[in-house]
Amino acid sequence: MDNDYNGISEEEKEILQEIMNIAFGKAAADLAEVINIYVVLSVPHIEMLRAQELPEYLKRQINNYDRISIVEQNFWGDFKGSAFLVFQASAGRELIAIFGDETGPFGSESADALEKETLMEVGNILIGACVGKLAELLKDSVTYSPPRVVTENTPNDAIPASLFDPSASAIVLKTVFSFEERNVNGFLFLVTSHDSIIWLKKSLVTFMEQYE
Amino acid sequence: MIKKILLVDDSPISRRIMKSCLPKDRDYEIFEAGDGLAGLEAYKQHAPDVTFMDLTMPVMDGTQATEEIVKYDKDAIVIVCTADIQIKSLTNVLGVGAFMIVKKPPSKETVEDALAKAEAQIG
Repeated sequence: MDNDYNGISEEEKEILQEIMNIAFGKAAADLAEVINIYVVLSVPHIEMLRAQELPEYLKRQINNYDRISIVEQNFWGDFKGSAFLVFQASAGRELIAIFGDETGPFGSESADALEKETLMEVGNILIGACVGKLAELLKDSVTYSPPRVVTENTPNDAIPASLFDPSASAIVLKTVFSFEERNVNGFLFLVTSHDSIIWLKKSLVTFMEQYE
Repeated sequence: MIKKILLVDDSPISRRIMKSCLPKDRDYEIFEAGDGLAGLEAYKQHAPDVTFMDLTMPVMDGTQATEEIVKYDKDAIVIVCTADIQIKSLTNVLGVGAFMIVKKPPSKETVEDALAKAEAQIG
């Protein structure tokens, strides 16, 4: 196998890509069951990075959004890391309308609070279902931090560099999606820590063994 | 009787998984394509008895490829194998003529069941 500097081969990346594809497909179906929406999916992209490159990488990916909202959730298991669900900031208002209730799913609140809680709810479903399915396929189970919503005026402020250990490596699993007939699109990034890589390599072997 | 099978999926891993799920005791001739358009061309070239089709693919997606294949051959048996399990996606592809759906990841059981249904359809 051809290893890159992080020790993950092209084949392992392809396996991860397929697993991410299955996991985000499950997440989209779960969301479509809760709200009347159709998620247009794309082929996931896997990138290996040094952790210190991560903030800059994420900024580049979301650079064409002038103002963004990020739902962030951490997860812990053998597979551990952070999930970032990135929307244009206008997505909150669109999503409130999709919930089909002027007061939203959370009762009477200020518009900002409602937007934030709607994003949090959508993020919780998409991240939870995606990470959960990914962990299930790799025979792991994970726990989650509560989701947190950050809305920023510029993408440059959105990803705190302090999140990442500069000496570590990271795997970025990126899926681009949009909601049909709605002006909502975004990215889901899963960033796993260096500690997860050794476990992940073994789990990918185990995953493929069932198909030999 | 099924002799030729076409696998259309942009992921080589996914095609490898699907091949491993095919019954080993039957001497299938397997063809592969990496996107919907290549799948359509491979269908015309090889006339497979059964086609396994992914949905989310570059160049031409699986729904469009299925529609084109069924237009070309109304008796085509296209089994969709997809991670996109949203009801609307499945309804759409069944609406353009897909034979049935197998959810990803496939297993030996789900693939054998699909092939048995395809055999029954072929007669």
